[in-house]
Amino acid sequence: MSTIAETASRGQTRRRSVDGWQWAGRVFLLFMLLYTALPMIWMLITSIKSGFAATQFPPQWWPDEPTLASYQKLLDPQNSVGQDFLRFFWNSLFVSTVTTILSVIVAVPAAYAFSRFSFPGRNFLFFAVLLRNMFPAVIFLVPLFILMRAIGLVNTHGSLVLTYLTFGLPLAIWLLKGFYDNIPVQLEQAARIDGATRFQAFILIVMPLSTPGIIATAIYSFIGAWNEYIYAYTFLSKNDQLTLPVGIQRFFSENTTDFPGLMAASFMMSVPVVVLFLVLQRYFVRALTEGAVKH
Amino acid sequence: MTIVTGKAEARRRLQPGWSGALRKIWEHRADYAYVLPAIVVMLIVIAYPIYYTVELSFFKTPPGLQLRDKSFIGFDNYTAILTSAVFWKVTWNTLIWTLGSTFIAFVLGFATALALHRDFIGRGVLRAILIIPWVISAVAASYIWKWIYHSDFGIIGAVLVGLGLADRPPNFIDNVSTVLPSLIVVNIWREFPFAMIMMMAGLQTVPDQLLRAARVDGASAWQRFWHVTFPHLRNVSVVTILLLAVANFNSFIIPWIMTGGGPSNASHIWITHIYELAFGRQRWGVASAYSVLLFLMLMTLGYFYVRALSGNDRKEGSA
Repeated sequence: MSTIAETASRGQTRRRSVDGWQWAGRVFLLFMLLYTALPMIWMLITSIKSGFAATQFPPQWWPDEPTLASYQKLLDPQNSVGQDFLRFFWNSLFVSTVTTILSVIVAVPAAYAFSRFSFPGRNFLFFAVLLRNMFPAVIFLVPLFILMRAIGLVNTHGSLVLTYLTFGLPLAIWLLKGFYDNIPVQLEQAARIDGATRFQAFILIVMPLSTPGIIATAIYSFIGAWNEYIYAYTFLSKNDQLTLPVGIQRFFSENTTDFPGLMAASFMMSVPVVVLFLVLQRYFVRALTEGAVKH
Repeated sequence: MTIVTGKAEARRRLQPGWSGALRKIWEHRADYAYVLPAIVVMLIVIAYPIYYTVELSFFKTPPGLQLRDKSFIGFDNYTAILTSAVFWKVTWNTLIWTLGSTFIAFVLGFATALALHRDFIGRGVLRAILIIPWVISAVAASYIWKWIYHSDFGIIGAVLVGLGLADRPPNFIDNVSTVLPSLIVVNIWREFPFAMIMMMAGLQTVPDQLLRAARVDGASAWQRFWHVTFPHLRNVSVVTILLLAVANFNSFIIPWIMTGGGPSNASHIWITHIYELAFGRQRWGVASAYSVLLFLMLMTLGYFYVRALSGNDRKEGSA
């Protein structure tokens, strides 16, 4: 007790003010942690309540009889709710995976070209790529819907893959370009002096070095496709085609009071992307900032 | 120095000389092979829709997408929009939504980044938790918060009643005056982690020697922040704010799922309003005219976006 008082009195104004900022920082972090985590915790608590327990006032802070019934219902292929949910889950997985693979295949060469070559129109193209990021889905919805109808893709997953691929590309190219900019050109030049063609140098030297960037781009595409709502909502109307965000919305607009089920479904929809993100967050965060922050 | 060169480069690049352009294009024909897949996909899915939207905005369209029966009406769709009261209401909402969300998300994200900059036990875990709202689906986020705000069983209402601050649980999202701020809280919840990530990366580029030198010279924590750290973060701040502003201007899911724009348009923003006009009321022509107006506004914003990015991108010219 006395030592604390002594330190405080001996410390100069400068030291004390530093400590003040530090404390303010800690209190602020605690506040942000609560703001971030409490809604998610409440989602989890609600998801293990019975429908009756969830609609009590005042609410049960912890359910009297915790139950996994909502999860069992959603994951049970025998009943119709489970069938729907599992199908939505599978649809989301399929669309996101195909989108991710195609994004990488298309974005890698484009990003490499933007980083290395100086063909005419390169800068215009690059800004066009960036500008695309600015335009909202709604602008494209009507014409795209008509286009998809014309080429027979309405109510297929192909319409979503094509759309997600296109709208994910600008960001994917931007992210990857940041990585290629940081790979020294000399490495390729050395390979070419040793007799490799430009393509060989690209495949054998550049590709392996840019693996972190490719992983980041892949996670980004996957999460983007997994969470996408507005196109899926517009292009798909058959129940067995829906992806998770739309499927959940359809389902719970019919069962408006099943809050534990809704929270359980929200939780399970979040699990794949959160796990993916937590496992690979190093790449993800680095890629996002690579393009915008250059020293 | 480098930044100035970068800007000059950017200006020069935006006004290319056309002499001998064809010859140059031919010389570089092999390079285009790399970008060709990206260009083809984008031409189909982006350029065509933009053209079609502009065209439709000058037509009166029948419902039900029987678009062969459309008739040319010049600028009538535009005048109809600009003279409607709903337009100004929705524009005002969009302004509050975009500015409010962007500003608060940026400030919270920046402050969190500063607080997380110093190393301490559990920092990595804390950072990971703080980023989760940004990763999960906006649909899930909307449902979580809708449940939290629920007028009968919502937890916030219950806490307010429990603390004696309210007689009965307030109705947050079914109330004209509280709905927009309530939705902004949800939006910030999802977005501040993005600002945080960007600013954390920015903070790593602030040279340590400068901070130490300032400390030796007796600068206070606030002075060090204001005179050393902050000037270094100008570029990344501008980029972050612009990206947030664009994302907010374009947001759809949170208002759409939580309120559908209601009650009485109090939470309609541009995008949800356009969506309702097009797919709810099937007024394709008016919706397209709205989209074109939106497009023009975003182009203006885009001009600043590109300027901020090219000022930031010194390698561009030398590659």
